[in-house]
Amino acid sequence: MSTEYERLKEALNKAPTPEARAEAAQRFKEYQEKQKALGKRNSEPTLVSLSTGKKYPTAVPLDKVADEIATNPEYFELVRKITTGEKK
Amino acid sequence: MTVTLALADFDLPTRSASGFLLRHVVPRVGPLPLYSLLDRRLPFTLSTGWSDIIIGMGHGEADAFTGQNMTMLLEVNRYQPQEVKGKVIYLLSCQTGDELGPDTIRKGAISFLGFTDDYVWVMDSDMASTPWSDEMAASCLMPPIDAINALLDGKTTAEAYNVQTAGYIRNAETEEDELIKSLIEFNMRNAVLLGDRRASVRARPKIVTPLPPPPIIIPLTKPKF
Repeated sequence: MSTEYERLKEALNKAPTPEARAEAAQRFKEYQEKQKALGKRNSEPTLVSLSTGKKYPTAVPLDKVADEIATNPEYFELVRKITTGEKK
Repeated sequence: MTVTLALADFDLPTRSASGFLLRHVVPRVGPLPLYSLLDRRLPFTLSTGWSDIIIGMGHGEADAFTGQNMTMLLEVNRYQPQEVKGKVIYLLSCQTGDELGPDTIRKGAISFLGFTDDYVWVMDSDMASTPWSDEMAASCLMPPIDAINALLDGKTTAEAYNVQTAGYIRNAETEEDELIKSLIEFNMRNAVLLGDRRASVRARPKIVTPLPPPPIIIPLTKPKF
C-alpha cells in the first residue's frame, strides 16, 4: 500500500472534527496527486453512489472529493468506511 | 414468466450502471425493460404480475428502492405482497438489504440479493454516452452483472452470490488503484443474500450481442460542481 493511501486512512480514522476533516482532505489531495503522477487520472473520474436521502452528492469528481471531505462530516464518514473497512 | 428489469437512467451513477445492464443483461431478458422514463411505479407494478424475477438498478435507501428521477418503486409497507411473492429479487442499489430486503422476504419473496450500505464506484464521466466501455467502473459493476447473469442461467441464488463474491475478489486482487480496490472490497462486504439460498428461476437463453448498443443521447442531471 502506498504511503499516501496509508496516511489518508490514518487521517480518516480520527474523530471527524473540522481539523481532522481538513487533514483528511489534504491527504486525499496528496493521494490524488500521486495517482495523477502515475498517469491514472487522465480522464474525468467521479466517485458515485446509488444512495438517496443522504446529505452528500451521489456524484463527486475525484478532484472535488477532498473539498467534500473537508466540509461535509457525512461524506468524511462515507470515505472513512470505504477506505478503512470499519463501521463506527 | 418474464423478467422485471427496472433501470433508472437520469444521472451519472444510474447512467454508468444502466450502461452495463444494457450491454450485458438486456439482450437476454426480452423486449421491454423498464428503462429510463418507463422505470416508474405503474409499469413496475404491471410488470411484476408476469415475472419470476425482479432485477432493479436505481437509487435506494434502507427502506426504499426508487426508479427514474427517484420516483418510488418499492417502499417498506407501501407495496402489495403479490408484487414480490414467489420471486427472486436482485437490487443493485444502496442499503436496501437493510430493511426493504427483509421486508420482501416477509411478504413472500423467495430470495433477495442486495447491499446493506452505499453501492459505490469510480466512473469516467467522459464516457457517459458509452458507459459499458468504462473500465474504471467495470471493476465494481461487473461482479453484480455476472451474478445477475448467473441467475438468468438458472443457477441458485447462492451460486449467483458466490459468482459475485469471486468477481469482487478477482478484481480487488488485480486492481492497482488503492481507492478503487477499497471500493470493490466495500461493496463486497455489504452484499447480502436473504431467504432461500437454493432458489432459482427459469434459465433464459444466453444471448451475447457482438456489438454494443448505440451511444446514449438521453441528457443527464449534472452534479452541482
